[in-house]
Order: sequence, then structure tokens, then C-alpha cells
Amino acid sequence: MIWLQALIYFCFAIFVIVLLGKVVKYATMPLNLRWELYPVPHEKKAEHGGSYYEEPEWWKKPREITLLGEIKEMLKEMLFIERVFKHKRSLWWLTYPFHLGIYLILVWFALIFIGAILELIGIPISASGSMISPVIYYLTLVVGVVAMILMFVFGIGLIVRRFSDPDMRKYSSFLDYFNLIFIIAVVGTGFAAWQSDPDFSLAREFMKDLIVLSPLPSASGATILHVTLLSLLFLYIACTKMTHFIGKYFTYHKILWDDEPNLRGSEIEKKVLNQLNYRVAWRGNHIKPEVTWAEEATKYVPKSQEE
Amino acid sequence: MREDIRIEDIGKKEGQLIKITLEDLMPLPPPYDKPETHPQLTEPKPEWTERYVTELDGYIAIDLPWKPKTKEEEEQLVQRFLDGLRKLLDKESNWTFLKPLILTLEYCAKCQTCNDACPIYISSGRKEPYRPTFRSEVLRRIIRKYLTPGGKIKAKFSGDIDLNAKTIIRLAEAAYRCTICRRCAQTCPIGVDNGLITREIRKLFSQEMEIAPQPLHKLGTMQHLQKGSSTGLTPDGFKDLVEFMEEDIEEKTGKKIKIPVDEKGADILLIHNAGEYLSWPENPAAFAIIFEEAGLSWTLSSEAIGYDAVNYGVWYDDVQFARIVIKHQEIARKLDVNRVVVGECGHAHKAITVIADRVLPPELQIPRESYLPLLWDIVRKKKLNLDPEKNNFPVTLHDPCNVVRLMGIVEPQRKILEEICPQFREMSPNGVYNYCCGGGSGFAIMTSMNFPEWRNTITSRMKFKQILEAFQDHIEPDVKKYVCAPCSNCKGAIREILSYYRATEKCGIYYGGLVELIVNAMVDVEEPFIEMY
Repeated sequence: MIWLQALIYFCFAIFVIVLLGKVVKYATMPLNLRWELYPVPHEKKAEHGGSYYEEPEWWKKPREITLLGEIKEMLKEMLFIERVFKHKRSLWWLTYPFHLGIYLILVWFALIFIGAILELIGIPISASGSMISPVIYYLTLVVGVVAMILMFVFGIGLIVRRFSDPDMRKYSSFLDYFNLIFIIAVVGTGFAAWQSDPDFSLAREFMKDLIVLSPLPSASGATILHVTLLSLLFLYIACTKMTHFIGKYFTYHKILWDDEPNLRGSEIEKKVLNQLNYRVAWRGNHIKPEVTWAEEATKYVPKSQEE
Repeated sequence: MREDIRIEDIGKKEGQLIKITLEDLMPLPPPYDKPETHPQLTEPKPEWTERYVTELDGYIAIDLPWKPKTKEEEEQLVQRFLDGLRKLLDKESNWTFLKPLILTLEYCAKCQTCNDACPIYISSGRKEPYRPTFRSEVLRRIIRKYLTPGGKIKAKFSGDIDLNAKTIIRLAEAAYRCTICRRCAQTCPIGVDNGLITREIRKLFSQEMEIAPQPLHKLGTMQHLQKGSSTGLTPDGFKDLVEFMEEDIEEKTGKKIKIPVDEKGADILLIHNAGEYLSWPENPAAFAIIFEEAGLSWTLSSEAIGYDAVNYGVWYDDVQFARIVIKHQEIARKLDVNRVVVGECGHAHKAITVIADRVLPPELQIPRESYLPLLWDIVRKKKLNLDPEKNNFPVTLHDPCNVVRLMGIVEPQRKILEEICPQFREMSPNGVYNYCCGGGSGFAIMTSMNFPEWRNTITSRMKFKQILEAFQDHIEPDVKKYVCAPCSNCKGAIREILSYYRATEKCGIYYGGLVELIVNAMVDVEEPFIEMY
């Protein structure tokens, strides 16, 4: 089973590296021009979609930002998928339970991890025992089973919806279906593995061995298949648009909600000045190629034909 | 009839991809609820089809004869397009919008949640090329197939497309079937912005291939930079107009006002869309009356470019955008003003205050703001003697996308209207969730061939529906009603839609700006400032 253990480490490591790579890629892209979209939730006037531009001589007044407003909006979108709820309710009834299943399976992983740590420090996880032990035991059981049911049932629902809704079908490629099929396959084998590990004690054993780098315990064929597929799913997700949880951070915080003004001596000012020295390679007749943006905008302005 | 168009059809189907028919369009409220009340749609003339691109929907936005005629020209077109596309994805050539572009290309879940937010898609009866995700998916597939390793294999699994002349000419036209109102982006659970993709496609065609509608480029930004205004107005012509305006103010209101021009050291440089001086001179005149009455220190500029606040670059070209905004700010610096205040022009608001913020070097960062908070401050502090009874007719407010959804100025205009218009009523939806007037992103000034028919029939349709609904309680023509549209382009689009459906004659609906309503309410202005007859 050393191959399985190696596969888990490998896939997880690649998952983390690719995700970090994506974060670095977006974070190091040039500072874009402002392109915010209201309501911007950290604005004091967000309730009616207002901004600091509603104040006369706004630059003379202190900027009032509410982090709470931004967190509230983030949570509504992350935990409730509010935009789909408001604008495409029929899809929400499928996508929300599915995503809830994903959130719960992440909670399940955390519970398995906590359980494994507790067992490593000598607190066995079981239905009886001290206070924490049965809490972790039952929570893991309930959360894991509910998560699997939600992901499996509503994952199938999403495939059916994607196929039966003409608007979605027209824009869906083989990979859009494959993404869902892959997840359902992992959850399906998860159900099969659960048959031989009804209280997830083997899952905790796996986690313990992965933490302390010990050989994995022996397991059923279904469990081995499940863990293999799960590892490959991590690898696959990292390379697809299913990492939209990363993209979403940047689209909202760095574009749609980024209304930070360019003030004297600010970091933004430094970046803008640097970027104005980038070269323009466009070849339209009205553009002078291979000069900097600063030169392009100031020195090569098309002149009047009469001049 | 809803044609079954697939994305790959953009490069495959012969002839027109779709056809617009009256029966497909979104119904309108009374008195336009019967098809016979609607003007008939026309076919594109054969000579147009010969010279211009009618292969998308029969309408022509790009009024340039740029269709390739030979195989070589087609190949050249594809090559130039791909060259442009590479630059669109390049850090230096497109630093301005690279991040939002890449994120939108990479993360659309194709859930179509955005579809119903688009007034064009809904008004048209859900025509495929108008769907917010259509252009983006075309661009995404082209990039994946032609600019990434193993693209041809990837295309088999993630959506195929042929890049040929048909694809390119239709994509260019399709980029002018979206007003970039960005309502779609408000609904996206991931924050994907299909409006941005529209603008990026326009940029590619303009910045690399010199292809853009003439009213935006040749007669727009080029004329603005070369002559001083996209209207063709010269500095001398501007000074003459100011004199006429002074005479007109005296004749209409009895007030003798000397409009300050090029006053160095004034507090405010006020810049208007130059179209106002030519089409709606009562608007800059109303500003002059209010500013003088309120005792503000202000000036207009007579320097070329300085008397025209527009910046059409904001719709299609980053280079032209930067050139114009820098010129505006250089003029403000020369005049040594404390701040630049933008009059009733929505896109000029966003251009000079928001987008320009990360283009201007420190020495040109003279503060810029909207006229709206300033105006509310004047009204709130009772600097004008106003009688709301003088505006006692039904008034509704149109929210210009650039001022509201894209800049967050929502309340000042409402507070003013609540103060001075007893019969003010909102449209629905309003504020940051408003619908575009249909003239956004340049459509209001694009008047070549049959494009106005498309605008009036489809892009302005949702706004027309909102206006009619707001006035349903008094839809009869003998009750004069006023649509307050505080933006030049919005006014232009609303003027066209009212005229297209003869709504002034049939329903008594008039339109105008906000400042006109304020002057109309001034106690010492005896004759009505707003003319509704």
C-alpha cells in the first residue's frame, strides 16, 4: 500500500502547490484600472449601493469603510450562494445542497484530522468515553454521511439539470459533465468504503498514519479505490475551473469591490507609475508601437490635420 | 421564432446568424401592447450586405467596409486577429485589464445565472448572440484552441470553434450588441464579468486592427483629439455658443449672467459633454444659473478638448482613453483649479473619476467629482429659492449606469427630486439595479445605416417599458410627464425611443436633465424653464 500512500502525498502536495501557484499568478498580475461594481459592501452607504463619491469634495473627508459589511456579504455568498438564490432559484435548489455537501465534507475532513490528533495524544474516539470523544465520534458520523448524500444526490441532479436545461446544455462541454461525474464517482466509492468502515474509525487510522508517516492499514478494495480516486480528484480539481473559490476572491476583492482611490504617496501610485513604463505593442494606425504607455498617452496624440 | 444557434455556428453558418422579428420581442405595456402600434422592421439593403457585416443579425454597428474579399485577405484577417489576441493576454500591452479578463475567461461556470439580467437578451426574445455568455464563450474557445498548447485536442473536450473570417466579423459585430451596463456581473456568483469581455473584444479590434464604429473612433476620439470635440466644435465655435447661451438665459429668465470661461484660479472647472451645448443648450445654461445663484467660484474651459467632457475611449480603446483623460487633467492644471466637476454626462463621470484614477501621474491628480453631491448640497442648504409646486407634474428618474451602478452615486439625485418634484416616482428596478437606457457604450451616437432601428427596437426597449410602467397612472397624452435623465447619452437614447414610438404625442412623455428641473422650480424664474408642448 506504499503506492497509495505515495499517491496521496503526491496529489495533495500538487494540489497545494498548484493552488498557491494560482494565487501567486493572480496576485502578481499588474494592478488593473478601477472597474468596481456597486453595491460595494465595505462602503458605509452600501445599503443603497452608495459610494464615497456621494460626498461633495470626497477627498477632504475620511474614508469610512466597514469590514463587517464586506464579511457579511462574503459569508452570504460563500455559505448561501445568494446570487444564484436571487437570480436563478431553480438552479439554487440543486447547486446549494451540492455545495453544502462539499462544505460538510471539508468539515468531515477536519473532524477526521482532529480525531486522529486526539487518538495520537492518547484520547481514543468512540461512542462512549470522555466528553470530547463521543462528540467527535457522532459529529464525524453525521457530517460525513449527510455530506455524502448531499453531494451524491444533488451532484446527479446537477448533471441532469445541465443536460435537460437547453441554455446550460448548449454551453456545456464534455469536461463540464466529467467534473461532476468524477465527484459523484468519488462519493459513490465513498459510500462503498463506508460499508466496511461504518464509524469512520479506519478513516481516522488512515489520517493518523498519514500524519506520522506510518504505513497505511490494510483496507477493502472499495476503500482503496475510493482513496485512489479521491487523491486523483484533488489533483484534477487543482487544474480546473473548480478552483473558482480562488478566482472568486480576486474577482470580488481585487476588481468588483476595489474602489481604493489612488492617493499621493500610496502603493497604488507606485504601481501605476511603474506600469506606465510598460511598452505598448498594439499596431493600430492611431498607435505608436514600442513606446511606453506614458509616452503613448502624452507625446503621440494624433494631431489636427490642419496643423 | 427562436433559432437554435450553437456557439460553433458563429464560424459555420452561412448568411445571417439570426433574424429579428417583431413577434419575438418582449411585449410592451399599453398603449404599445398591440403589435400594430410598433414600427415595422426593415431588411438590410443589398448594397450594405455587399460592403458591411450583416452576417450577425442584419444590423450594422461597424460602419467600415472591412469584410475580406479574397482567401488571402481572410487569412490576413485571422492572423491579425490572433496577433491582437496575444496582446490582449500580454502583461505589458494589456496591464490595464489583464486580471479581470483572465479571471473571467478562466472561471465562468456556464450556469447562465446572468442571462435574465441582460435587457438586450430579454428584450430581443432571447436571441443567442445577445446572451451575455455568448461572446465570452466564443473568445474563450478561440484562445484555448489557438493560443494554448494542445489546443486542438482540448477543443474536442471543452468546446470547439473554427477561427475563420466568418467568426471574426460576427464577433466584432457581436461586441456592439452589449451596452457594457454590467448588470450581468452583478448576478454572477463567481464575479465573472461578461461586460468586460465585450469591451476587451472591442479593444482588440480597435487597438490592433483599427476597426471600430466611425462615430466612436474617427468622428469620436480622433476628432476629439484633433479638433477639440467629438462634435467637431472648435474653441471659437465654443466661445460663440457661450455668448448665445448668455443671451438665451437673459431672454428666458431675465437674469444677466456672465459665464466664466478660462478663469484661472477658480475653485471649480466644470466640464460638460459638448453635445449639450449643441443639442440641449438649456442644460449648461441651467448649470450656469444655479452655480451663479449659489455663488460658486467656477469656470468653463475654451481650450480644445477642455470643453468636451466625453471620453469615448472608455467604450473601446485604452490608448485613446488615456490620451483624452490626460488632456482633460492638463487643462485643469493649467487653469489652476481646485477640482474638476463633471456635468450631466454619465460615461464622462466614470472615465475621469473612476477609471482615470490609475492612469494619471501624481502631478495630474487634481480631484474630480460628480456635480450631483454638489447640487444636493446647494439644494439642501437652501441656497436657491425653490417652489416644488412649479414642478407639479409626474416625474420619473432614469439612473445612468455609469453614475449609479459603476460609481455608486445613488442618493443625491433622489433627494433633490424628492425636494422639488411632488409627483416624483421611481422606475422599477432602480438605483444600482437600474436598466440601461439602451444608448450605453456608444450606442446613443451610433447612427449609421440601420443601427438606430436595432437600438430603438431592442436595446432601449426595456427602458421604454420602465418609463411606460412608471407613468401608467397617467398614460393619457394630456397629462405632461417628465423623464429625468441626467446624462447626455441617456437623453439621446430616450429622445430617440420617444420619437420612434411617438410617445410624446401618444402619451405626453417628455425628457430632460435634472438641472432643468431645479431651474424650473426657482421662484424668480417666472416663465417655465422646461418646455413641454
